[in-house]
Amino acid sequence: MSIIFIAVNLAFALIISPLIDGFERKIRARLQNRQGPSILQTWWDLIKLFKRPTIEPQDSVKPLYKLAPYITFTSILTAYLIIPTLLPASTNFIGDLIVVVYLLGLATLCFVIGAFSSGNAYAQIGSNRDVSLFMSEELLLAFIVGTIAVIGKSLSLDRLFPLPFRISSVLALLLLFLVIYVASTRLPFDIAEAEPEIIEGPLIEYSGKHLGLLKYSIFLKRLLLYSLLLDFIIPIQNPIRLICYLIGTIILSVIYSTFEAYYGRFRIDQAIEILKRASIVALIVWMIAIVGW
Amino acid sequence: MEAQMLLIPIGVLIIAALVGLSKAKVALKIVSILSAVASAVIIYNGVLGLKTTIELKYNLFNSPSFFASLNYLVFRVDALSAFFLLILGILSLCTSVYGIEYMERYFEREDMRVYTFNYPLFILTMYLVVICWNLLWFIIFWELMTLFSQFLVAFEQRKEKAVRAAFKYFCMTKAGAEFIVLALILIILKATNFNANYSEIANVLPAYLSVHSTILYTLTFSLLVGLGVKASMVPLHSWLPDAHPEAPSNVSALLSGIMIKLPIYMMFRFFLSFFPLKPEIGIIIAIFGVLTLFFSMMYALLQEDSKRLLAFSSIDNIGYILLPMGAGIYFLASGNQLFGGIALAAALFHTMSHAFFKGLLFLTAGSVMYETGTRDLNYLGSLAKKMPLTASTALIGSLAIAGVPPLNGFVSKWMIYISTLSSPATSLFGIIAIFISAVTLGTFVKYFTAIFTKPPVKEIDAKEVPLLMSAPQLLLALLCIAFGIYPFIPLKMISQALGSIGIPLASLVVYPSLVVPRTGSYSPIIIFAFLLVSTLIVLLLIPSRGEVVPTWKTGRSEDLNISMPADAYYRDFREVFREVYTLGDASKRFVQKVAEIGRILGTKFEVFSYDLDSMLSIAMVLIVILVAVLGGVGL
Repeated sequence: MSIIFIAVNLAFALIISPLIDGFERKIRARLQNRQGPSILQTWWDLIKLFKRPTIEPQDSVKPLYKLAPYITFTSILTAYLIIPTLLPASTNFIGDLIVVVYLLGLATLCFVIGAFSSGNAYAQIGSNRDVSLFMSEELLLAFIVGTIAVIGKSLSLDRLFPLPFRISSVLALLLLFLVIYVASTRLPFDIAEAEPEIIEGPLIEYSGKHLGLLKYSIFLKRLLLYSLLLDFIIPIQNPIRLICYLIGTIILSVIYSTFEAYYGRFRIDQAIEILKRASIVALIVWMIAIVGW
Repeated sequence: MEAQMLLIPIGVLIIAALVGLSKAKVALKIVSILSAVASAVIIYNGVLGLKTTIELKYNLFNSPSFFASLNYLVFRVDALSAFFLLILGILSLCTSVYGIEYMERYFEREDMRVYTFNYPLFILTMYLVVICWNLLWFIIFWELMTLFSQFLVAFEQRKEKAVRAAFKYFCMTKAGAEFIVLALILIILKATNFNANYSEIANVLPAYLSVHSTILYTLTFSLLVGLGVKASMVPLHSWLPDAHPEAPSNVSALLSGIMIKLPIYMMFRFFLSFFPLKPEIGIIIAIFGVLTLFFSMMYALLQEDSKRLLAFSSIDNIGYILLPMGAGIYFLASGNQLFGGIALAAALFHTMSHAFFKGLLFLTAGSVMYETGTRDLNYLGSLAKKMPLTASTALIGSLAIAGVPPLNGFVSKWMIYISTLSSPATSLFGIIAIFISAVTLGTFVKYFTAIFTKPPVKEIDAKEVPLLMSAPQLLLALLCIAFGIYPFIPLKMISQALGSIGIPLASLVVYPSLVVPRTGSYSPIIIFAFLLVSTLIVLLLIPSRGEVVPTWKTGRSEDLNISMPADAYYRDFREVFREVYTLGDASKRFVQKVAEIGRILGTKFEVFSYDLDSMLSIAMVLIVILVAVLGGVGL
């Protein structure tokens, strides 16, 4: 039973995540007084990329450069085994919150190693920024994970979904909302891929199928993080969970894309500074959780 | 018969050391092979020790004398020592084989006898520290271990840096050993009635110490300082980043992989089987663990020397061992058997994983030095194409140390988080450990990419290292993967080891997952299988065969004039977190000031010492104070 549920969840994620990006593009376009492409446009882009041939730069370390996009993609897919999306699969035996955090870390690691192996200087600058951002983002995330563990007295996901309603849990989820925004590489936090200055950074040499896979994994990662946040809120046994989940996803993508449409890009040090300040807030939230509020 | 097996490595290693006294070129090969043979026997003894307890007893003096406790030389291997013997054996097997080719580069420059004589003796003393069952003999072997390893650090005698590092190492660990001696004398005089046998102490001491709590805290303090110096616990770590890089790489692998774990082994003996379990002692150890891992990793991020970076990361990993050990003592003392067992198992698991991946990383750094002659991360680059095997093993080591699933580094980190995060007293420790784990990832992305992928400053001439050097690396890399995907074998050994000091490890293993009831779960097999299968499917569905084109230079014909040297990595991150470094530098200045004051006092004292009477009176006052300290703590 649960294996079928996992399969359904995986299929859902693979099909829907590009559509969500299409939807967000539409919203951004409307907010900026543009017509915008159709919702399916992201899917057409991906299909086009998958049909294109790939190239390999001369200076690259070929095995690493070629394999990295695949493992980035599949490590995010692996996280979908653990986090329930469309259907509430009981997948407790595969992993817990820590495993999810580290699988996302594995994806980041493969992504930057691939970029570093391309031999392009811009890719190095970009992935260097990516790792800097990842480290400071992880400080905030560590506090959130700690707070959630203290609130739920567990790290196992079926005990944490949903979190009990307390001041600390609301604050922790607000901070999680911020981390998700940073982790999903959007304006103003897409510093690693900044197009105007370092020409897409880590993605600079990637083309065709590789580029498609990397883009696809970013979409998958966004939907995964949405689901994580929603699972903390929506009761898992609720009969109308499915509807709540779908509505929640739409609401989140509207909010996130609105932010994205209105902001310019941060400098890398500004972004790290913001994350550091947020971590101090998270320390206070952790203390509130320890007190038991 | 089985007990006699314990003697074989001793004999073989002594023969090796004697052969090492010869100047002949072939001595290096013979010494390395003999050490490798001895290591294989050590592994065998470890496996044997996990099955049954091996004991060997010698009555040396045959007369009741003042040295009554030295009378009996007892070797005994229980499951805990067997676990450390296994690590020692596997690692020294790899480094001995590696040394055959690696050390040849030094023939023209150095006196090889320094290496060939001290190397087997260093392994021998480590072996004796693990198997001996008497505190007085332990301290003798312990000091010998420091001595022989010091000569190995100062192997390149013409380099002033190496000699200074060895001297610093010797002074600090010697001073630390005095604290251990003090603790031992206290134990033997006060509590056990001149008996230094471990089993005897474990019987008598806990009851005695739970009544005399002052002595307990004195002992805890001096043992934490004494063993902490050797384990390079912050703030007593400063010898390690100097000493470990200076030794030949295979010796660095031994120093980082197993020697700094022997204090951990003794801490397990002292704090868990000799001392009554007190929550506050556990918390203190855990706090030192957190300080250790935090500061050392933040400083590792700055390093531009490959082996110095690895040395800082060794200190960090000692933090990752001390933290769960302290947390485990805390949990056991406050009655939480489940978390206590898991935290202690995490400490032992990390001891083993760190020995493998740090040994591996030091060997890869050594291979790079062997080919290029440098450790400078700014200069190195683009070696992955020239040394593919070394590059792939270094990548596996980096992934393992960064703790990404499904490699072995993740298993121990997962156990640390599971046990610490959800309890209020230890939650913050776990949080900092997660953050530092991300910094570790950043550091090792730097290590790997700076050596193997970034374009070099100028073209470097290198080729793959010979088979005798790459085989040990491959073996260690294989162990990192195997114990990551299938952690049940080491966990079984660990549960035996913990069982031998009386700590039950609650049923953690529910095949094919690791499950902690109501708290967490991790299934390395399923995750690995899914990663593998889905990657293969995606590779089949979307195969990529591309043509090779020149790297894109924004349309210009000449080279882009930008490059990223190692010192430019994560500059923004370091800027924003500069408070950490300000704090670290301030404490460094403080220590330097203390050293300065000590020097001034020393000079004054020297002037003073021409006057015999005042010298004698000062000595007497000092002796009185010492006696008061030794005799008075019980009051």
